[in-house]
Amino acid sequence: MSNLKEKLQAFHEIASSPKEQLKKYLEQNKKVVICAPVYTPEEIVHAMGIIPFGTWGADIEIKEAKTYFPAFICSVMQSVLELGIRGDFDGASAIIIPSLCDSLKCLGENWKSSVENIPFIPMVYPQNRKADFGKAFTKAGYERVIADLEKATGLSFDDAKLTESIEIYNEHNAVMRQLSDCLSDYPEITAADRSAIFKSAFYLEKSEHTALVKGLLSELTNTEKTANNKIKIVTTGILADAADLLKIFDDNNMQIVADNVAGESRQYQVDAKPAETSLDSLAGKFAEMDNCSVLFNVDKAIAQYTVDLVAKYQARGVIFVMTKFCDPEEFDYVIIKKACAEKNIPLLLIEIDRQMTNYEQVRTAVETFKEILK
Amino acid sequence: MLLENGEHIIGSELLVAGIGTIGAGKIMEVVLKKAQLTLSEIDFVMATGYGRRNFEPANSELSELSCHAKGVLFKNPLVRTIIDIGGQDAKVLRINDKGILENFMMNDKCAAGTGRFLDVMANILQIPINELEKSAELAEKPAKISSTCTVFAESEVISQLASGETVGNVIAGICNSVASRVAGLAKRVGIEEEVFMSGGVAQNGGVRKALEKELKVPIQWSETSQMMGALGAAISAYEQVKKERCI
Repeated sequence: MSNLKEKLQAFHEIASSPKEQLKKYLEQNKKVVICAPVYTPEEIVHAMGIIPFGTWGADIEIKEAKTYFPAFICSVMQSVLELGIRGDFDGASAIIIPSLCDSLKCLGENWKSSVENIPFIPMVYPQNRKADFGKAFTKAGYERVIADLEKATGLSFDDAKLTESIEIYNEHNAVMRQLSDCLSDYPEITAADRSAIFKSAFYLEKSEHTALVKGLLSELTNTEKTANNKIKIVTTGILADAADLLKIFDDNNMQIVADNVAGESRQYQVDAKPAETSLDSLAGKFAEMDNCSVLFNVDKAIAQYTVDLVAKYQARGVIFVMTKFCDPEEFDYVIIKKACAEKNIPLLLIEIDRQMTNYEQVRTAVETFKEILK
Repeated sequence: MLLENGEHIIGSELLVAGIGTIGAGKIMEVVLKKAQLTLSEIDFVMATGYGRRNFEPANSELSELSCHAKGVLFKNPLVRTIIDIGGQDAKVLRINDKGILENFMMNDKCAAGTGRFLDVMANILQIPINELEKSAELAEKPAKISSTCTVFAESEVISQLASGETVGNVIAGICNSVASRVAGLAKRVGIEEEVFMSGGVAQNGGVRKALEKELKVPIQWSETSQMMGALGAAISAYEQVKKERCI
């Protein structure tokens, strides 16, 4: 196996074994806090010496969670609850669930009733996050999270430690941005490989993941660039990690040259900048975040951002990966569609779900889109 | 569909069944037998539709959307919008001025607006699917079928009939319901004339007329609308042979 393949394999192994990763940290007597999406203040958890352990649910059959959720709701949330009920997070000290969409709010409330051994910590974000009062509201939310974390773990928070953690997270952000840029030059890295690199970041302490990504970047720098005959695409959406979906992209010779997917690059767009306190710095980071369907923006910057990505990476088209029943994404699809149409950028809408077992309609749509891009 | 020299249809058969690729294999045998040909005499086999990747005799496969576009344009090159309502899904295809497929939308979330919806309704009404049109024509005041979910719509139809609504009015309501869902999809793609309807549901005049009313455009169709995908696949096979032989 080549060095490059070995390095990629490491990401695949981590991405496909969250339960083992969690067990590894618990066996090291580390405290772990589960961080549900999106924009959960992992830096605070990290600063308290706890492992922030990300989850976006899993492609599983949802059974127990159906007792608490209606049928027509985001399957990411349903599967997070299912994992919690069936004990996949056992040993974790708490779960932080932000309130950025209605489904997330339901997840938090349902968690309280259904997973009694892992306390629920809410992170309530403001819709108007950019103004000073918005930043103050965010900061107050963080303070609530800190108080709950201290209660759940017995550990204490220190603003100076947060400064160190913010540096670690900023470095990870920078490395992930660099990686995404770099991968566009290496068509041999498949969509499945790319997804595994992003997904593995949820299950590793960030400086560990940074080291792994740096190792990969160094290997790529030593790898000769080959001719790129793939169809360059940009993906956008909440989540695009389903193995069958990624295989369809790879089978159709498509290369994701950039993404604005919440579970991938979107979370790494903004770094925390110095402020009066580290908590202010973190609130400032959230205020600056954008290009996301769950973050209020009257100018709907996400549309222009998508179009700009296509131009920057010379992509042939955009694939909008719609998570079924995700209302915020359904609203943003319309403005992205319009922006792409104005620039004559082909756009494909595909719908996915954590419970999908058959991707034939998606395959048909992607194959037809490929014909159009030809 | 058996096509000679990219122009002459020398055989075609239709089997409506969800039995994987067994049905396609059987059909191919029948078509070849009728044309007095063997598989070895066929230059290229193109498979399309769900299951296309698993049909062993195929030399290649192409999505049914691309095939429907090719098939319809073969019949009428001036078509710019194709509405394809099949058994499993509904699709709207937009063709550009050069006769190339440039955009499309497929139904999502559920089976509302597909042929399966009509199958379920025909079943509870105990009326053969091809007689729905005749019954819809008898409607004086189409009933409102408001449920999106096929199963709930089924309950709604049973309730309507139980409360004394005529079968004709209920069937017209069912056709309007399918048309309304597909019209929503079509408007998302944008309607440009000429408009052609392909797929099995095209044979149902009740849905066709309801769609014309919803979209306010005349909709063309053909007795062979259900075969447009197969025709497109056959044309595509011919194009492949031409390419391979540099004709």
